[in-house]
Amino acid sequence: MTKPDDPVPALARLPSGISGLDDILRGGFLEGGVYILQGSPGAGKTVLANEICFRHASSGGRAAYVTLLAEMHTRLLQHLRPMAFFNESVIPESLYYVSAFHTLEGDGLKGLIDVLRREIKGQRADLLVVDGLVAAQESAPSDREFKKFINELQAHASASGCTVLLLTSGLLRQVSAEHTMVDGVFELEDQLFEFRTERSLIVRKFRGSGFLRGRHSFRITDEGVKFFPRVEAVFASASQPDVLSDVKISVGIPGIDKMLLGGLPEGTTTGLIGPSGIGKTTFGLHFLSNSSAAEPGLMFGFFETPARLCLKAKHLGLHMGDAVERGDVELLWQPQRESVLDELAHRLVGAVRKRRVKRLFIDGLGGFLESATSPQRVSRFFSCLTNELRALGATTVFTMEVAEITGPVVKVPSTGLSALLENMVFMRFVERGSSLSRFVSVHKVRDSGHDPSLREFYITDHGVQVGEAFSGVEGVTTGVAREPASAAANPPSGSSEV
Amino acid sequence: MQTILVVDDELGAIEVVATALEDEGYRVLSAANGRHGLEKLAEGQVDLAVIDFMMPLLDGAGLGRAMQADPAFKNIPIIMMSAVGETVVRERFDGYTAFLRKPFRIAALIDTVRRVLA
Repeated sequence: MTKPDDPVPALARLPSGISGLDDILRGGFLEGGVYILQGSPGAGKTVLANEICFRHASSGGRAAYVTLLAEMHTRLLQHLRPMAFFNESVIPESLYYVSAFHTLEGDGLKGLIDVLRREIKGQRADLLVVDGLVAAQESAPSDREFKKFINELQAHASASGCTVLLLTSGLLRQVSAEHTMVDGVFELEDQLFEFRTERSLIVRKFRGSGFLRGRHSFRITDEGVKFFPRVEAVFASASQPDVLSDVKISVGIPGIDKMLLGGLPEGTTTGLIGPSGIGKTTFGLHFLSNSSAAEPGLMFGFFETPARLCLKAKHLGLHMGDAVERGDVELLWQPQRESVLDELAHRLVGAVRKRRVKRLFIDGLGGFLESATSPQRVSRFFSCLTNELRALGATTVFTMEVAEITGPVVKVPSTGLSALLENMVFMRFVERGSSLSRFVSVHKVRDSGHDPSLREFYITDHGVQVGEAFSGVEGVTTGVAREPASAAANPPSGSSEV
Repeated sequence: MQTILVVDDELGAIEVVATALEDEGYRVLSAANGRHGLEKLAEGQVDLAVIDFMMPLLDGAGLGRAMQADPAFKNIPIIMMSAVGETVVRERFDGYTAFLRKPFRIAALIDTVRRVLA
């Protein structure tokens, strides 16, 4: 028995059970709250609400799904059946489907509230979904009567500890009486970006709790609904404090380690910038080849399949396949498709967390950029993502492809990104006589000196080998070297290009 | 003319079933939940009840049990219909004559009705 001075207990949560949504809501809905889930037809309201019900029922809760003028139950269940969350064994014992449209037609809102109250009590439901709120709104004789209906429903929900989700396809921008009264408003959208669409959620209101503001992407697949909290919101503060380190991490190429005065500073982010075919992926394979059980590696790539990467490594004399088999390296390939930017980031961060990855190679930045539906997000997105990766202790190398094969101008793919990179390594082609040579240069290294010279490098069947600094030539960075014939650097003996 | 009571909470389902049965020459009464179903039964002679399993206020199992408990209705055959499997339904009420798993074809409904009323 509570005493008058006892503190009022904090409101308990009812987790949605939906991947990512509970992160956005900081733990889930508040028990006994009434929430509006709105969006145009096809936005995903019904699937989302049903998945919440199935997950709730499968974890021991009880839910009632009441439809008004909505999809027929038989059809609805047929559509849901192929989805991974569908669990017929919870129907009807823990999840009960009924239609209250007849009652609404015959007895109006008073009859409807009676049905809802009885279903909450009769089914002992702690979660109630009312699908088709717009039908109730249309049958209300006045706004005042509809407000009374919402108010009465709130009273029943609160008294019985039953969380209520009201689904409506009402106009998204229209703020009406029910919006002001309910405990939360969730807006689902399915936006078109040229040829592709992307689903998103905006939490307009969520009383009694903090939440991640702004737009968050989500996807509906056979697995169900999956939300990807916006990186700038969820990683606004890194999940762990930044630990500074003086340790240098070898990139696996002795000549480049020498240019870096020992390697890349641990926990930093490096941009590896160069045109297609210059050897960026090859650099990354070297970087990963130094992975171990104590220093797990991850390749997050968009272009080459794991099998191709292993073959490529083999041609360089690197035993990537063995490292993968031992679990020292994971090759995570992202097939080229219409990906969601935040989905990629969450997959990446999840993989880094799971194996406590220390060596991270991302090949390449373009895979992320192509998934961005809002270019203005990119700079802040990468800032928050790299902060989180740093906090997780990963030393990250990104490849950044530039369009120019040779020439004096190098355009970094996205403005503002270069400032986020603590280390920058350029790899470029230079024309000498009738052939192209490769050269590498280090432009900056965080809190460390470096060898500023331009060095020719060779991709051989023993891996990357770095030659001497160019000397006696001019104009290397213009793409056309002017040098006396006698000063041409000689490739190491026994090497051959692959 | 034989009279069939159709009890279903979904308006669309009642429309489809009632129309199909009327086309076959049956007289059809309809109700939106078990409680309304009992009221309709009390109104007059019913030869067959086609009942949905999940309904508000009084579900199909509740209606079936109420019919069995009432001497006036206990001999009325019942066709139970549901989107969930028969095993689940039978655990809660097994006093029906036939079962139709939703969704079903009209032909299956008519065949079942004819068989039960034969």
